[in-house]
Amino acid sequence: MIVVDRAPPYLTVQDDGRRRSRSVGVPRGGTMDSFALAAGNALVGNPLNAAVLEWGLGGGSLRFDSECTIALAGARASATLAGTTAAPLTTLHAAKGDELMVEHLDSGRFFYIAVSGGIDVPIVLHSRSTYLPGRFGGLEGRLLRHGDILRLREADGKGPSPGFHVPPELMPAYAAGVVHISPGPQADLFADDAWRTLMEEFRVSAASDRTGYRLDGPALSTSIGTLPSDAGCPGAIQIPGDGRPIALMADAPTVGGYPKIAVVSDADLPILAQREPGASVRFELTSIEQSQRASRKRASDIHTIRHLAESSRRRA
Amino acid sequence: MTVSLIEAYPLGDSAITVRFGTQRSAELLARIHAAAAFLAGASIEAVEDVVPTYLSVTVFYDSLRRSYADISAEIVAACSNADSVAETTRAVRKHVIPVRYDGVDLHAVAELTKLSVEDVISRHTGRGYRVDILGFVPGFAYLSELDEALVLPRRAEPRPRVSAGSVAIAGVQTAVYPLATPGGWHIIGTTDTVMFDPNRPQPSLLRAGDTVRFERVT
Repeated sequence: MIVVDRAPPYLTVQDDGRRRSRSVGVPRGGTMDSFALAAGNALVGNPLNAAVLEWGLGGGSLRFDSECTIALAGARASATLAGTTAAPLTTLHAAKGDELMVEHLDSGRFFYIAVSGGIDVPIVLHSRSTYLPGRFGGLEGRLLRHGDILRLREADGKGPSPGFHVPPELMPAYAAGVVHISPGPQADLFADDAWRTLMEEFRVSAASDRTGYRLDGPALSTSIGTLPSDAGCPGAIQIPGDGRPIALMADAPTVGGYPKIAVVSDADLPILAQREPGASVRFELTSIEQSQRASRKRASDIHTIRHLAESSRRRA
Repeated sequence: MTVSLIEAYPLGDSAITVRFGTQRSAELLARIHAAAAFLAGASIEAVEDVVPTYLSVTVFYDSLRRSYADISAEIVAACSNADSVAETTRAVRKHVIPVRYDGVDLHAVAELTKLSVEDVISRHTGRGYRVDILGFVPGFAYLSELDEALVLPRRAEPRPRVSAGSVAIAGVQTAVYPLATPGGWHIIGTTDTVMFDPNRPQPSLLRAGDTVRFERVT
């Protein structure tokens, strides 16, 4: 069990989201940073989509009421486990009663805690993810708060040995802020000068959350306005009438009427998700073939991490 | 039936949008609903979700199992095939939703449309509607087509919170709010019908292509 001793302003249960209910208007949801979800789970020996905690906006603390293996991923935090500095993307051992204290997030926006077994909350529409606007999933469809108790599912075997960490070359390039995009369904409606503008530097606006990130920067020239609604997805970059791009994120509505000029590559969506308000973003255009190749490469890197983590146990 | 050229585009790494036409029409929507139903039942490998909208169908798939080049040919072929089998195979689900016509905007709507309140109600209950698309929030169904005397632009000032079960109109469409959200439509009534419940086997009462009538209750 995990006890929430002091909740940060934002704390929810998330997994890889809902992939079977978009036809009735349910967004995919799930973790904002899919790499953090998969890597965190690999580090504790879980299935890659086991439910984790997604943490944002400040400090807080959790207590582990039973012995378990944990890993911290995503945003970098000043964190201690039982009083000792807790390294990111590293397999850590928590003894019964150990406290995880997070002073604050140093860089990035979404911090993740993966725990052996995974967080045990009811499955709603094939997922344990919290969907706050719909008030379902996670723990009672809400933010976690002081005093909440989270049960853990039974861990499968012993898991990797403490101290194993993700080799840096297998991680997304979070720091550079370069995000690959492929042409979206309405790409051809935009003239060359709009595309040139999209390749300039943008900054993530303070008006950004799990639904979407507004991007501050030059406005794209557009006379398209609103079209008959079509389907969107996390990573779709839509251009409203004012020409100021909005990147749709995990909880974005399933359909919308703004033209979608491009879509962020699945492999790079974690990089965008972790950009803080004010941080720069540069887009680089790629083909759908290259984009899908990058996402397969990411999946293979995750499997490498999982394999290395498992063999660390055999060596130990 | 005129069959316009079907065009397909990637929507990121994990979805493909197939566009059936460029102008909204009831006929086009019927084709799209038929194609979506066909695709959803076709057991195409790696397909996760099928989302019909006004001009297109979007198919979400597992891009680790199939590439865009690989799946697009099969999806486009299935869409073309759906066009030829559509009309005969599709059963339409019909719903009746009881409504108390007590909405906060009912009198304002009567004033704006220069109709009596009774007339607003009888025009709203007086016809069947088709579920065009679902979206905005889970279970939110855009229904058309409203009696033209009731057609109004959205409210200038959206409300920060519209209660679940609010029955509303805007443009040529009407809808029931499945959960409390911000909203800019004119609220003319209330229903106790649960439009969306993630814990029931069919979470959304309405699906694209269904038909709906509203029945006045007190």
